Amino acid sequence: MNATEITVLERQQSQLQWQQQKQHYFEDTHFNLTMNEASLMNNEYRSMKIDPDFDNGWPGLAKYPLHRTGFGGENLPGFVSTESADMNSSISRTFSCPPEKLTSSIGRESFKKRKASDKSVGAENINEKKIKGEVEEVASKINEQIHNNKNNNRETCGDISKENSKVSEVQKTEYIHVRARRGQATDSHSLAERVRREKISERMRYLQDLVPGCNKIIGKAGMLDEIINYVQSLQRQVEFLSMKLATVSPQVDSNIDNFFAKEMFQSTADSYPTIGMLSEVLNPTCYQQLNAVQQVLTCGGLNMDINLAEMPLERTTSTPVSMPGEFLDSSSFSQAQPPSAWENDLQSLYNTGFRHQGRSTAFSSEPFNGNLAASNLKMEI
Amino acid sequence: MRPPSSFKQDFFKKWVVGLQYYYGTSSRDMNILERKKAIKLSADVAMASARDGKTYWSRSLIAKASKQDDCISKNLVKNILGNEYERLTKLPSSILCSKRIRSKKIVRRSCNMRRIRKHAQKRVLASSIAKRMVKKRTQVLKTLVPGGESMDDEFCLLEETIDYLLSLQAQVDVMHKLVNASGLPS
Repeated sequence: MNATEITVLERQQSQLQWQQQKQHYFEDTHFNLTMNEASLMNNEYRSMKIDPDFDNGWPGLAKYPLHRTGFGGENLPGFVSTESADMNSSISRTFSCPPEKLTSSIGRESFKKRKASDKSVGAENINEKKIKGEVEEVASKINEQIHNNKNNNRETCGDISKENSKVSEVQKTEYIHVRARRGQATDSHSLAERVRREKISERMRYLQDLVPGCNKIIGKAGMLDEIINYVQSLQRQVEFLSMKLATVSPQVDSNIDNFFAKEMFQSTADSYPTIGMLSEVLNPTCYQQLNAVQQVLTCGGLNMDINLAEMPLERTTSTPVSMPGEFLDSSSFSQAQPPSAWENDLQSLYNTGFRHQGRSTAFSSEPFNGNLAASNLKMEI
Repeated sequence: MRPPSSFKQDFFKKWVVGLQYYYGTSSRDMNILERKKAIKLSADVAMASARDGKTYWSRSLIAKASKQDDCISKNLVKNILGNEYERLTKLPSSILCSKRIRSKKIVRRSCNMRRIRKHAQKRVLASSIAKRMVKKRTQVLKTLVPGGESMDDEFCLLEETIDYLLSLQAQVDVMHKLVNASGLPS
């Protein structure tokens, strides 16, 4: 806000304010005086003491509005023009100095001046105007300055005593520094909202570094997609690895071993129909159990079961396995060259597993169709 | 968060305790899926307890694991956590109040209002679409991160996600190493 923009109305308002504050101050100073003189006095005595001081101080204040009314009309343009430069230098941008202290210091000063230069109206009036400007500034800027601490160091008020600036320096450390750009809202709510958004975006950037392949994605939704995919893949990896470890366990279930051994021999004996049988066998038993445990497992479970069977199948790279890359890399089952019919069937088996899984996860809602398609593509690479 | 290597060591120590218990007690009639479940549970609980209950996700994960029905997993959790069982299974207050008490009237009224607004606003703004997309994904993320349902603040959720991701990475790494060490034909 520039000084040139101060309207008459505002000035009048601030004048009123100032008067009120002044009145308030007088009460305060009297209290202080009495406190200094005799701090042990009781209340009645203090109130008695107040009276003479009050008499001294009051006429000055009573006179003050008269000056104002007398000078006001002719002095207004002069005030604006001459004070604008002055005010910029003397504007107290320190929000954090407590208002009572500010007014009290101003008041004290003017009080002294009034006493010293008894009734030299001109000089006093300028001083008062200065003070008034400051009060005005403080009153109007108080909201903005709550968060704009940046000017605290640069522009210190010449009129305000050093203790005030010290206080402001101490107090400003308790606030978060926010810089509002030109044209941005400066009320406390939008500032808080901006701080929150900045914090969130900072976290998102960190997540972007964390999740592989997330650097080139623009937009929050896409990033969240990537994060979700990554978390899911990690969770699935844990599932898969624990499944693997379960197979290693020393007390391997003999039943399952026999079952899969039989499967293996049968599959080596005659190629095509056993795959169908295998899938049929797998579906009612393992599949349902997996569904009961966790639906995400389906694909991993199928893979594991086939793994257990140790079928001499080459796991082709085109299998749309939902397992992450490591699994595909780790597959080294190319002992025998499988017939193409097998491959196709296995692929279809994987496909069904994968589709089922895709349907069962939370991605079933419509906006995730694109995402699913993307992951499908990714898997098929 | 501590350096990942020490976290991994911590996790591995706890996991080994769990695995020892599991190998000591696993019976013959255990299905492969049951065994897998026990291993995964032990790994998860070990991971969560390695975070020392400093995060919501770890606490809610432990709380969820300790509430399982079968005695094997219960004992497993108790064994891994050891003397910290009492401290860690207690849910933080924010998760306890995950079931928010809502006034039915207010919910109904807001639903009605939404319906009215939908009717009134026929053209859909791009920003609103983007907002909805982000909202949906946030919901999905909440279901993935343990204890995420009770997190209302997006910032809090992201913090937890970061922590959970780092822990998951460490977990997967350790498990990979163990699998490789166990000499599986893979």
